[in-house]
Amino acid sequence: MDYQKPIPLKNQDNHPYWDAADRRELLIQKCESCQHYSHPPGPACAKCGSTELSWENLGSEVKGTVYSFIVSYRPFLPGFQDDPPLVIATVELEKAPQVKLIANVLDCNPEEVNIGMNVKMTWQDIKEGRALPQWIPA
Amino acid sequence: MAQIKDRYAIVGVGESERSKNSGTTPLHLALDAARAAIQDAGLEAKDIDGFMSYSENDSCTSHQLATYLGVRPKYVKDIMGGGSSTEMLIADAIGLIETGQVNTVLIYRSMNGRSGVRMGGGGWDVNMLQSAIDGGSFIIPYGAGGPAQWFGLFATRHMHETGLTQEHLGHVCVSFYEHAQRNPKAYFYGKPLTMEQYKETPYLSYPFNKHDFCLESDEANAIIVTSAERAKDCQSRPVYIMGIAARQCVSHSHYWSDLTEVAADYVADDVYKKAGVKPEDLDVASIYDCYSWVVLRQLEAYGIAPRGEVGDFVAAGNLRLGGKLPSNTAGGMLSEGYTHGMNNVLEIVRQIRHEYKGTDRQVENCEIGLCTGWAGPDIAGAMILRN
Ligand SMILES: [Zn+2]
Repeated sequence: MDYQKPIPLKNQDNHPYWDAADRRELLIQKCESCQHYSHPPGPACAKCGSTELSWENLGSEVKGTVYSFIVSYRPFLPGFQDDPPLVIATVELEKAPQVKLIANVLDCNPEEVNIGMNVKMTWQDIKEGRALPQWIPA
Repeated sequence: MAQIKDRYAIVGVGESERSKNSGTTPLHLALDAARAAIQDAGLEAKDIDGFMSYSENDSCTSHQLATYLGVRPKYVKDIMGGGSSTEMLIADAIGLIETGQVNTVLIYRSMNGRSGVRMGGGGWDVNMLQSAIDGGSFIIPYGAGGPAQWFGLFATRHMHETGLTQEHLGHVCVSFYEHAQRNPKAYFYGKPLTMEQYKETPYLSYPFNKHDFCLESDEANAIIVTSAERAKDCQSRPVYIMGIAARQCVSHSHYWSDLTEVAADYVADDVYKKAGVKPEDLDVASIYDCYSWVVLRQLEAYGIAPRGEVGDFVAAGNLRLGGKLPSNTAGGMLSEGYTHGMNNVLEIVRQIRHEYKGTDRQVENCEIGLCTGWAGPDIAGAMILRN
């Protein structure tokens, strides 16, 4: 069956992130002026306003720890009707703790998710040529 | 900078009927609320020369409202916004009066929040959401499509760091529902909530159950702001604005990449300084309550209880009548009605006027009050009012 959920929309500012995801890599925007990571990516650094932006490739072995999470017991968007209970987590990246990256935590019992839990990134094939970064227990 | 402390006042408050299905338009609701506020102030519609509103594109315009009150105002303004917009528009109104643009301003929020456009979602176009929300493509594909989820991510972390528990959330709900039992116009009037019932309620979106969510209602609220001098000519007892402040943090806060940056933390210092009061001087509060947790985070932000002790503060019954800081005394948005904060403003004005004197609803020694707005960690507004 076709993938029913929303597919990330690429735009002028975020496409390097999603293009990398499609290659199963994680690319995070970084500000060359203040050295802060800039996520979600934008047209300029949200910390200092600089447009001196670059992209740092964190590769395909991405680890992190759960920084915060919720468990959704009702679908709040179309396409998610079969997902609850759905874990949505903010994950602190091991290699760049400043970055907190939101995705679902898959392949785990929602009641076992907790803050500090180790996770690693996986890429879910959602349609031809498109992949979605997700977390699974490490 | 001009000192505005005590030089402006809220002189009229009013609301339409509240329901889950008004069967009418936001314009009709706004007219009802505006007429009630004008009557409360003892003014005539033509005395209002400025009209302002905030909405999420779900209302009528200020220009329309003025027109059908038979008024030809000097100034109208409609902004996009939710929580904190009331405070920001009051600050705008003061600026316009101060510079002689207008004399008296009516500010309203009108919405068919249940039967029309629902904040809680339903029927949204997911691609529209990805574009409309800053950073939307980083949340919507993961099913994070509603404020309960965005706020919940913030709440889970904050609760973890500060020792807040589910039961502390419950104390906020139980306290406000108790207030609603004294307010026949509250949506949950006649529907009290016990801690036992609260704890038995299943999660809708952990860490929240349905009681932690604000309700959705069809209604309009209006307030009238004018100078302290003109306030003397009004029939109502003026409620003076001691200080007012607002703050905007990052616009992609739905994503909350920096969970320590909270607008309310900045607003608190500013508003106390402007008003010249301290947290311990407050007698009553209206704390923005789109979710129970938001109240707890703001008690911390506004210095009402120290970080880490907020749970004990609410567990001791301090938000209830007779507590240290009776708050959301009409039931708040958790149990009275929901107009992105304006119903909480109406209530604190009535408390500070001592309008409930002689009933079990009046907060005793009610002279100074804090009213807060919170659209998220990104947007906060607050004002301190006095008798
Ligand atoms: Zn920068």
